Amino acid sequence: MRALRFAAALLLVAAVLAVYHWAIAVNTVTAALTLLLAILLISTLWGLAEATVASIAAVLGFNYFFLEPIGTLTIQDPQNIVAFLAFLITAVTASQLSGYARRRTAEAEGRRLEMERLYALVQSMMLRGSARNTASEFVQDVMQVFGCSAAAFYYLPGGDVFRSGPLSGAAGDADLRAAAEAPEGSVDRQRGIAIAPVRLGVRSLGSMALMVAPPAALPSEQTLRAIGNLAAIAIERARAFDEASRSESARQGEALKTALLDSLAHDIKTPLTSIKAAVTSLLGGAPANQRELLTIIDEEADRLNRLAAEVVAMARIEAGKLHLEKRPVAAAEIVSNALNALPADARPVTVNVAAELPLVDADPEFAAQVVKQLVENALKYSPGGSPVVVSAERRDARIVIGVADRGPGIEENERARIFDKFFRGRRHRFDTKGTGMGLAIAKGIVEAHGGRIWVESEPGEGSVFYFALPAIGGREN
Amino acid sequence: MSAGKILVVDDDPQIRRVMKATLVGHSYEVTEARTGEEALESLPGDMPNLVLLDMNMPGMGGLETCRAIRAGSDIPVVILSVRNSEKDKVAALDAGADDYVTKPFGIEELLARIRAAMRRSPSSPEGGPRTYASGDLEIDFETRHVRAQGRDVRLTPKEFDLLRYLVMHAGKPVPHRELLQAVWGPDYGDEPEYLRVFVNQVRKKIEANPSKPKYIVTEPWVGYRFVANS
Repeated sequence: MRALRFAAALLLVAAVLAVYHWAIAVNTVTAALTLLLAILLISTLWGLAEATVASIAAVLGFNYFFLEPIGTLTIQDPQNIVAFLAFLITAVTASQLSGYARRRTAEAEGRRLEMERLYALVQSMMLRGSARNTASEFVQDVMQVFGCSAAAFYYLPGGDVFRSGPLSGAAGDADLRAAAEAPEGSVDRQRGIAIAPVRLGVRSLGSMALMVAPPAALPSEQTLRAIGNLAAIAIERARAFDEASRSESARQGEALKTALLDSLAHDIKTPLTSIKAAVTSLLGGAPANQRELLTIIDEEADRLNRLAAEVVAMARIEAGKLHLEKRPVAAAEIVSNALNALPADARPVTVNVAAELPLVDADPEFAAQVVKQLVENALKYSPGGSPVVVSAERRDARIVIGVADRGPGIEENERARIFDKFFRGRRHRFDTKGTGMGLAIAKGIVEAHGGRIWVESEPGEGSVFYFALPAIGGREN
Repeated sequence: MSAGKILVVDDDPQIRRVMKATLVGHSYEVTEARTGEEALESLPGDMPNLVLLDMNMPGMGGLETCRAIRAGSDIPVVILSVRNSEKDKVAALDAGADDYVTKPFGIEELLARIRAAMRRSPSSPEGGPRTYASGDLEIDFETRHVRAQGRDVRLTPKEFDLLRYLVMHAGKPVPHRELLQAVWGPDYGDEPEYLRVFVNQVRKKIEANPSKPKYIVTEPWVGYRFVANS
């Protein structure tokens, strides 16, 4: 190819000389200018070497055919020597200049190509979603986009090396490891290997090697740096993506748990609804001897229902899924709602709510549930006829609601554990009523409000259960 | 003689079975639907006097079914649900239900709720006026017809009874419990959320600006009061 271009260049010079020597008679200046034009053309088309060879041929031919004495390579007139030198310098300079311009154009073209490839790389990178195999996928993208014959990627945090292409062994693991710590990448044009660190800020993520045949097609150092940066971004992006999908799946897990709890509640309560409706219907017209048995079915259906509700409530509390709808509410309202929810035949309870109490910030339903639980316990564990007192008072920034009974009291070693799930006092271990979750649920509700629940007790005298909820500025009406 | 026709809508076959057996035993006629869609289909043909509607059903669900029923009918709807939070009750009443019963329930309680939902105050109370007019509000107690701000207003039976009771006691605060028992029946009294929802609905229909009501005003901690406007 190159030889052909040299031949064509020489042929062009010869053609000019032949035309002017034999076909058209012209003066020396015209011949010289035409030759210069031809050399400019050659240097623009093919480059410096061809133009230089053509210049020498043109100078020799010009001297031989147009300078006195014609037919020799000697120069007689000193003026002609000057003209000849000017011609020579012009030819060489022109070909140098056009060669330089050609090189710049080629460089610019190469850079444009590399930009296009980097852009293509960014685009293919953006299509990659998950972090799975990001490094190896990136290696393949780089190979494809930059037309490399082989590529390798060393992932420092994992210590893995990802390789692609049959010749990727040319960049050894040791080279890759060394490059990961190196400040700059390197381009080895002889071996056709470019290797660069992959860094995010100052943190090294590894290194990347590209192998290209022919070596001239290796990307520039700037491009290499850009590829390294892209690799870092790709990995970081994949990591962030992974993290996001992990937290999303954790969130979905929680949502699933709540949905399961709801469906559990529904699935237990649906058959209970049939049982309860059927048995209460039978109870209406049952003869006395059957009433006792039907009443047992009815009561046990109620108990199963409470049990299901408590299991679901406990699970919700433990999953941190208690959904509070707080609003400013009066302690008196909480207490009266709780007492209204007690069975109609329950023992009367004394209410002692201080006047002018600030409102509390609470979910009224859940707060009433706590009071109800404490009052139920007080009624259950104190002798019939003994007083149960519900009180509410202000202590600093909190409203403290207390439920006092004259029961047997709670021994000191049991007081701390009484709010634990399934804990039963020694005295009531064989008492089958209740689930052992009531106080644990009460504690969960109070703590979800940012409050505190505790018990003060004197064995033989009675117990007082207290819980404190945050008060807000307003005054109770 | 039939005490009325009840449409039971529940996806659980056992619940439909026990409902049918029990309600028929109490002289009601019973028809059944397994889904909300089925209920809406059978409603125009069956013409029941009341719908017992399960809240949690596959398909369009109880709330949506209730809204669809309300869009075309004033028939009493009682929602049955395993959920017992105030939020769920309010959502059901907002959807147009007349009452809300938590599963599982004793049959006596359900029967009482059914009677309350079907019950309407007699069309013209003894000695009471047959019509009432105040400002841009006109009520015909006999035909249960209401006009407000120049428009005909459609109230459900419970909404109408609530408005009538307040109008009958215009100028006096009516306590929550009294109002509940007057409209729903003697078994009621601890359901202030019912009043909140129903009063809101009536206000939306008769007040020019429901957030600044001029007819039905709230008496904090007591109840509601009807104010005559001239």
